[in-house]
Amino acid sequence: MALVELRSVVKRFGDHVVLKNVDLSVEKGEIIAIIGRSGSGKSTLLRCINGLESVQSGEVLVDGVAVHDPKSDLRNLRARVGFVFQSFNLFPHLTVERNITLGPTIVKGLDRAKAAVLAREALRRVGLEEKLNAYADQLSGGQQQRVAIARSLAMSPTIMLFDEITSALDPELVGEVLRVLENMAREGMTMLLVTHEMNFARRVANRVLFMNQGTIWEQGPAAEFFQSPKTDELKNFLGSVLN
Amino acid sequence: MIRELSWVDPLYLILALRWTVAITLLALAGGTSLGLVVAACGSSGNTAARLAARGYVGLVQGIPLLAWLFLFFFGFPIFGIDVPGWLAATVAFSVYSAGFLGEIWRGALISIPKTQWEASASMGLSYLEQLRHVIIPQAVRIATPPTVGFIVQLIKNTSLASVIGFVELTREGQMTAAATLAPLPVYLMVGALYFALCYPLTTYSRFLERRLHGAG
Repeated sequence: MALVELRSVVKRFGDHVVLKNVDLSVEKGEIIAIIGRSGSGKSTLLRCINGLESVQSGEVLVDGVAVHDPKSDLRNLRARVGFVFQSFNLFPHLTVERNITLGPTIVKGLDRAKAAVLAREALRRVGLEEKLNAYADQLSGGQQQRVAIARSLAMSPTIMLFDEITSALDPELVGEVLRVLENMAREGMTMLLVTHEMNFARRVANRVLFMNQGTIWEQGPAAEFFQSPKTDELKNFLGSVLN
Repeated sequence: MIRELSWVDPLYLILALRWTVAITLLALAGGTSLGLVVAACGSSGNTAARLAARGYVGLVQGIPLLAWLFLFFFGFPIFGIDVPGWLAATVAFSVYSAGFLGEIWRGALISIPKTQWEASASMGLSYLEQLRHVIIPQAVRIATPPTVGFIVQLIKNTSLASVIGFVELTREGQMTAAATLAPLPVYLMVGALYFALCYPLTTYSRFLERRLHGAG
């Protein structure tokens, strides 16, 4: 069975339908880029996968857990699904180390010493070992986002969700974050990325989804997807973002 | 009996100060317990709870503290319950403190961005764990300066308890002034004692505020 399975998912905010019967299946090890205009439902799609948004109908199955079912216990699932936000969302009152060890100690019950080892290892993977005792406001945006990634990595997730994680960064800081993502891709992490970085999507993703009006309008393998878009909507979109 | 102001009078005033401190601490104990409930209701997702909290805060802040004191001191005996002055004062000050503290703390709680809840939720933390490890520590930082500021107001407002016969600093001052016919030196001493209690707290509150807005 696929790692993530969405079946006829409908999400509404009041009268506004954000997701209209979305079907999606993600296999282990896949790297999927999700592109589209703002308001097309791509962030909402991501947020439904770890239960940050509830759905009105349809099924969201992630690693065997029925996320759409209010009775499901999301605690263990969320420990396995990493989520990185556009605005980093580090905890400003805690050191980098404690930001990272909070999940492993509280959710997984690790002792502080073991969690500290995990924190150092996770920081090494994002190249920020020396920032162990820093606070968020002492870091640049790019560094904060790499710490946020490390915070997810320390939970040893089976899948990582990235919600426009470079959109709030100054252009010169985007590269350092994308390099971290590329390393994770090489290590075989299953990843879903909502992104505006088309070159990155083309280079790293196995599959690209184009969201439009609350549906997955068009999808395909990265190379083919960008070279020969089939629908006019995707052609228009690519035309407007690539030129 | 008229007597001269003597060296023991400042001593009596200092001794009366402990009743001012005691009534403040009792009011804080009551006000904190009830205030936490007000803050929790006021920041909850439940509409009825939010309305109840808002109503309570509006009622407390819209009625003078002196009226609350009279209400409890003269109100209970109507129902055949005789309350001593200190008890009426404790209840009135607690009710009053809960209204202000609850509102300060509610404001601090809702000022924490929703994204902090989301970030901790997406790591698998439960609602109470999110509150304990992520939300409350940040809210406490924000709420501490105004809370200390309120305590200073409360200390000074306990002087109102003198009108229902509770002998704290102000009441002791009134009695000393009446016995010695020397109101000016007596009330200067009373003022100095309030100042000695409040000024360090005000300074501390300013220090906290600077730290909050400065280095973070």
